[in-house]
Amino acid sequence: MSTAHLIAVGSSPLGKTDLPGRDLFSKALAEAFEELPDPADVVDGLYVGAQSERYENQIMQGTLMAEWAGLRNVPAERVEACAAAGALALKNAVRDVRAGVHDAVLACGVEKMTAGGTEGATNALGAAFERALEQRSGITAPATYALLARRYLHETDATERDLARIAVKNHRNAAANPRAMFQEAVDVETVMDAPDVAPPLKLYDCAPVTDGAAAVVVANDEVAADLRSRPDAVRVAGVGSAANNLAVAERDLTYVEGANVAATTAYEDAGMDAADVDVAEVHDAFTVCEALLAEAAEFAPKGHGIETVEAPEDRSAGWSDVQINTSGGLKARGHPIGATGILQAVEAYEQLTGRADDRQVADADTALLINEGGVADAHTVAHVLTTQ
Amino acid sequence: MTDESNSPMTDTDSTTTGPLLPEDITTDSPFTLPGFFDALAEGRLVAARCTECDTHLLPPRPACYGCGSRAVTVSEQPRTGEVRSYTSVNRPPSAFEHLAPITIAVVELDSSARLTGRVDAPLADVTIGDRVELQVRDPEEAGIDPDFDLSYEEEWPVHVFELV
Ligand SMILES: [Zn+2]
Repeated sequence: MSTAHLIAVGSSPLGKTDLPGRDLFSKALAEAFEELPDPADVVDGLYVGAQSERYENQIMQGTLMAEWAGLRNVPAERVEACAAAGALALKNAVRDVRAGVHDAVLACGVEKMTAGGTEGATNALGAAFERALEQRSGITAPATYALLARRYLHETDATERDLARIAVKNHRNAAANPRAMFQEAVDVETVMDAPDVAPPLKLYDCAPVTDGAAAVVVANDEVAADLRSRPDAVRVAGVGSAANNLAVAERDLTYVEGANVAATTAYEDAGMDAADVDVAEVHDAFTVCEALLAEAAEFAPKGHGIETVEAPEDRSAGWSDVQINTSGGLKARGHPIGATGILQAVEAYEQLTGRADDRQVADADTALLINEGGVADAHTVAHVLTTQ
Repeated sequence: MTDESNSPMTDTDSTTTGPLLPEDITTDSPFTLPGFFDALAEGRLVAARCTECDTHLLPPRPACYGCGSRAVTVSEQPRTGEVRSYTSVNRPPSAFEHLAPITIAVVELDSSARLTGRVDAPLADVTIGDRVELQVRDPEEAGIDPDFDLSYEEEWPVHVFELV
C-alpha cells in the first residue's frame, strides 16, 4: 500500500461573496498550486464534495471542476453526503493514492449557499433529513440539532451558557484565522441575548450560511518527495467512515455512535488513539456538536464534552489535552457545506506544518478531523493526519 | 414468506413478515411508504419489529438497523408515548412558513418505537417526559402547502401529537 500525503492546500474567501461556485473553486485551486506545476502535471483525478444542486442548478460538478483545473479525460467525480461531502472527497482521494490507482488526486469541495438567500439554503439543507415523517413535519437543520441539544442539557449538568461558551471560543479562534468568515470575537452575553432559532439554540449556536471552496492535493511518496520538502508534507495516517440512522428520532440523542465508529476506525488505521491527537477539527455545525464529538472521539469522558472550552489543565479527569477547532470551526470559520471537510484538512495542514501563526498549537504533530452529514452522525468521515 | 415458528410474537404483531422476495414489495405492503400511509390514513400506526432484537422501526422497513436481520414483522403501535426532546422551528422551510413557530418533538411511544412530529401546543407548554397522543390529519387539515408534497405524497396523512 502506498502512503498518502497532503502536499498543498488552498481555500477561497469564506462568507457571502460575489463569486459563483466555479470561481470560488478557482480561488482555492490557485492557492493550492501557487508553488506547484499545473494541476494536469500533478494530479490524475479529482473528487469534489458538493451538497446540493439547488444552489446553482448545477450537477456534473466533477466534470466542471476538472475543466476549470485543466484536467481532461481523467476520473472526476462529485460525492455527496450532505455536509460530510468534503471529507468523502478526501477519503476517496486517499483511497486511490493508497491503492496505487493514482499517484496524486485533487480533493476539493464547493458550495455557493447564498445563491438562493436564507430561504434557499434552508430548503436545500432540509433535503438532508428523513422525508416521510420528519421533513413533512417541517423540520430544519437547527431544529434537528436543537432536539439533540435539549436532551443533552437534560441528561448532563451542561447549561445553555456552556453552549454559548463554545461559540465564544470558536469566534475567538476564528479571529486569529485569516481564512475565517468571522474575524470578531463575541462575548457570552451577546450569544445568550441573540434571537432563538430553535430553542435552546440561538443565532450564535448555529454555523452560518457560507459561500466557499477548498482544495487539497493528495499524493504518494514519490510525488510528495518530488514536489515538496519533508516538513511540507503531512501524512494521512488513518481513515474511517460510518453511516448511522437518517431520522433524528431513531438515534441515541446524546451519543453519536457512528462518529465514534468513524473516529476509532481512523485511529486503528493510524495505529494511534485519542491521546495521540494534539489538534482536532470537529463538525460544530451547532455548538452542541462540539461537545458530542469530543466524547465520540474519546477525548472526553461521556457527559463531559462540554468542557471543550476549558484549558487542558482545567478539564475533568479523563479528558485529553487536545485543542479543538483552532480554525474557529464551522461556527466561525464558516460552513460552505461541501467544502467544510476540506477546510478542516486545510487547518490541520497549517497546524501540523507550523503555519498557523497566532493560533499555532505548540508541537502539534497529529490531528483528527471529523466531518458529518445529515443530522449528527447520519454520516461521519474521520481522518488522522500526522507528521510522525 | 419466512418461517416464523422460532420467532417470539407479541399481541399486536400481525402475521405479515418482512419482504424477502421482489414480489413482496408492493404498494399494499406496510413495508413500503404507500402501504404505511394507507394504514395511517385508516388510523393504524404500524412499525416493523425485529423478531431477533426487538428494535422497532418506524416507518417499517425490510431490515433491522439494530442487528441486520431481515426477520422483521409488522407491529401496530400504541398512539401514546412521551416526549424525549422538543424544540420549536422558528424559521421553517418556506412551505411551512405560515405555521411558524412549529413545536416539534421526538416522541417515544409506549412500545419503545420513536418518531418525530409536530406538537399541537406552544413550546412553553411542552417539556421532556410529557405524555402525548398521536393524531392523524389529512394534509390540508395539517396545513401543508400543496406545492411541498411530491405527487405520490398528496394523499398521505400527517401525524401530529397532542398533549394528554
Ligand atoms: Zn434487530
